[in-house]
Amino acid sequence: MNEKLIEHLSSNANFALPSTLDRCIRCNTCKYAKDEFFRSCPSGEKFLFESFWASGRIKIARGILNGDIPITNELYDAVFACPTCGACEVSCQAPHQDTIVNIIESLRELIVDSIGAPERPSKIFERVQTTHNPYNEPHFDMELIKRKYILPDKANIVYFIGCTSTYRQQTIRDATLSVLKKLGIDFTIVNEYCCGSPLIRTGQIKKISNLMQHNVDEIRRTGATMILTSCAGCYRTLFKDFPKYGFGFPPEIKILHTSEFLNEYFKEHPIPKKENNVHWITYHDPCHLGRHMGIYEAPRELIAKISNLDLIEMKRNREFAWCCGSGGGVKIGYPDWATEVAFERIEEARETGVTTIVSTCPFCKTNLEDANKLHKSNMQVLDLIEILDKCLL
Amino acid sequence: MENKNSIKKKLIKIFGADSVSDKQHDLYLHSYDATENEAHLPDFICLVENSKQLVQVIKLANEQKIPLVPYITGNNIGGLTIPVKGGIILDFSKKMNKVIHVDEDQMYAILEPGVTFGQLDAYLKKHHPNLRYCYPFAPPYSGVVGNAILSGMNNLSATHGSMGDWINGLEVVLHDGSIVKIGSCFTKEEENWDKWYSRYPMPDLMGLFVNWQGMTGLVTKCAVQLWLRKKIQTFIIAMTYGGDATAELIREFGRLELIDDLSAVSLEVAKMSLGFPTPKKFDFEPDYAILIPISAHSQKHFKIKMELLNEALKIINNRVKRKIILTDFNYLSAILGEGVRCFADLPNVVIPLVEYSGLTWIGSYAPINKLKPLMEEGEKIFKKYQVPAFIYMKSMKGSHYAIWRPIIRFKKHAEEKKVHEICKELLEMGLHYGIIPYKTPIWITEYLKEKIIDPNWVKFFTDVKKFMDPNNIFNPGRWGI
Repeated sequence: MNEKLIEHLSSNANFALPSTLDRCIRCNTCKYAKDEFFRSCPSGEKFLFESFWASGRIKIARGILNGDIPITNELYDAVFACPTCGACEVSCQAPHQDTIVNIIESLRELIVDSIGAPERPSKIFERVQTTHNPYNEPHFDMELIKRKYILPDKANIVYFIGCTSTYRQQTIRDATLSVLKKLGIDFTIVNEYCCGSPLIRTGQIKKISNLMQHNVDEIRRTGATMILTSCAGCYRTLFKDFPKYGFGFPPEIKILHTSEFLNEYFKEHPIPKKENNVHWITYHDPCHLGRHMGIYEAPRELIAKISNLDLIEMKRNREFAWCCGSGGGVKIGYPDWATEVAFERIEEARETGVTTIVSTCPFCKTNLEDANKLHKSNMQVLDLIEILDKCLL
Repeated sequence: MENKNSIKKKLIKIFGADSVSDKQHDLYLHSYDATENEAHLPDFICLVENSKQLVQVIKLANEQKIPLVPYITGNNIGGLTIPVKGGIILDFSKKMNKVIHVDEDQMYAILEPGVTFGQLDAYLKKHHPNLRYCYPFAPPYSGVVGNAILSGMNNLSATHGSMGDWINGLEVVLHDGSIVKIGSCFTKEEENWDKWYSRYPMPDLMGLFVNWQGMTGLVTKCAVQLWLRKKIQTFIIAMTYGGDATAELIREFGRLELIDDLSAVSLEVAKMSLGFPTPKKFDFEPDYAILIPISAHSQKHFKIKMELLNEALKIINNRVKRKIILTDFNYLSAILGEGVRCFADLPNVVIPLVEYSGLTWIGSYAPINKLKPLMEEGEKIFKKYQVPAFIYMKSMKGSHYAIWRPIIRFKKHAEEKKVHEICKELLEMGLHYGIIPYKTPIWITEYLKEKIIDPNWVKFFTDVKKFMDPNNIFNPGRWGI
């Protein structure tokens, strides 16, 4: 028995061990979008061998547990080449369906623990330790933003910007700040560190508590009762992973994605109609907002409230949405493949006849844009908050 | 045999570097399946894309005396793709999985071996909505061609029998690398998809491949008959008490040729689908739930069918101790919850089959007049081992024969020994009543050869195998060869 694996599984999964790994019969239902039989697993569809599908990875865990599979760098691709998008969990109908991503992340932790992370994801670890962000950018001085937008030290709401919107997709950050200001929301921002998502998703959890502690302290200092994120990855991490590592916020502090918050807000305050031309768009469900957190309707309802916007759904939507390909360490570990996956999504958007694909995650936007550029595609990629900002006077 | 590195290089030359693996974890995944059958590691996994590659790999296998084990999705519940002598797993499901052609007028589809039931269903619904194939009591990601050439049962079995009966044609790569077409497609013409309309009247060479578990050649194309998707497709369900009533209903309803299928499952199985992992049946409850899919061209047609079935039921009910209840399954599933629909809306994930990591059975064709003792004795064996009864039965082809399939779910890596004991007892009892196991694991074929089968048959079978595969490269070890 590999005791280390049991340890990692125990911390990630809320079920009895080792029977956790004994619930998969390899019926292969995890391989496609249930009922419609669409392609759903980016990893399996790319690499094809059984070890790249959910059922194969569960059996790899079984093999390691039994001592039948040694932990060597031969395992890197099978375990790390997966965006942990959770499509397999939606299709799987067996009792362990909710645990598949946890099993994969446990495997990653075990491998990192035993032989270290693969080269490219290991860079994230080094960068976050030194610059507090995975992009290796100098730590951003949030005071600049605070001054520009005249934000207080204490407020009801903290907007947790996230690394991607701070260092790469600043238009999402700026649009969010602008919308919140226009609406007169009492909010502030904090001197945030990486939420830890890219490290947790790649099994590099060694110093995760330092990041979480810092962020918790910063947020608590504001006296806020609500945390808003515009990043689906931060949202999942604050909501699910912080408590798992002992840094959960007390129940009186709500954590919301901006799409949820604004959808609620605009139930009582109609969005002014700015122009008559109708824009047809399609919506891409970020995995960390959709499958990981179950939020599918709030962004759609918000889109419906914007009077000159009409949504045309892609063939694969909501829980069956095709992943953009950037999550789970894939963007850094397998950049070419990540854009390949994203391009499949761009093409799917094109099939609907629209010229704009909208999402609610800066990481999705980055990868979709990269695919767009690479393939010289003319699909416009926007975050919902950017559209909303333009609609508000 | 050359060393493994040298063979790997040759395989890479044939299939490409991205399609060959000898990594330990890849080999491990192919070393066992859901059943209790012993695990064996292969030496290589290769993802097959075309017949040309197969011709080359067969040549290599003959030279090196290395086994070739065809694999589609591994859901056969017979250990049939466990490489008992090692060798090369040829995975057809990833790249050789196209629906090549559907002939609307002649109602058949030509498929590559990797096509799955879910895939075919989605394809037909999209492109040929007036046609349907059939679907087994298996996950949607099971291979159509594998099931057809192993004579699998399905949801049209009461009328049409096993899938093996509906094969119009095959393309097979033989041991010498030649590619042969069998059935009405046997002409000199290349890729004439119009010619795959019949298995007969020429000598039926299909029998050299059907039910041989990949021991005689590698099937690369298969034409399967399709059926009209009738306007009305619905289900009724019968609840029966006791072996007499259950057996009689299966036999009598099956022979009327009014229904598409008739699947009887122990009541415990119905409870499993409602979320009871290890259900018990109480004495006052019915013993079997029998799902009966019915299709009709119109309401009038359906009404006539139902009238005839109700008349037949009246006669049966006059003979049995406790009356059989017939209900509209759609109403029942609305009351009991969507879980029970997994038996009806095929291809679907049959929930009770995916709740444990281990699954095995004594899958068998059975004489229809022996269902009563088979179910009664079978139930006793389940009870003896304190395992919830999971007996699955069908009427086949107008009740000319039946399917009797006791199924056992178990914990893999823990309960294999116990499960083997149960299977052996079920097998011995079943053989006593004349069953013939299908998709047979090696231990059963060994048992059959020793105890049941006429030695002349065994000799003939062995001679045919030698002729078809002189170097024993095709799935060696099956049937003890």
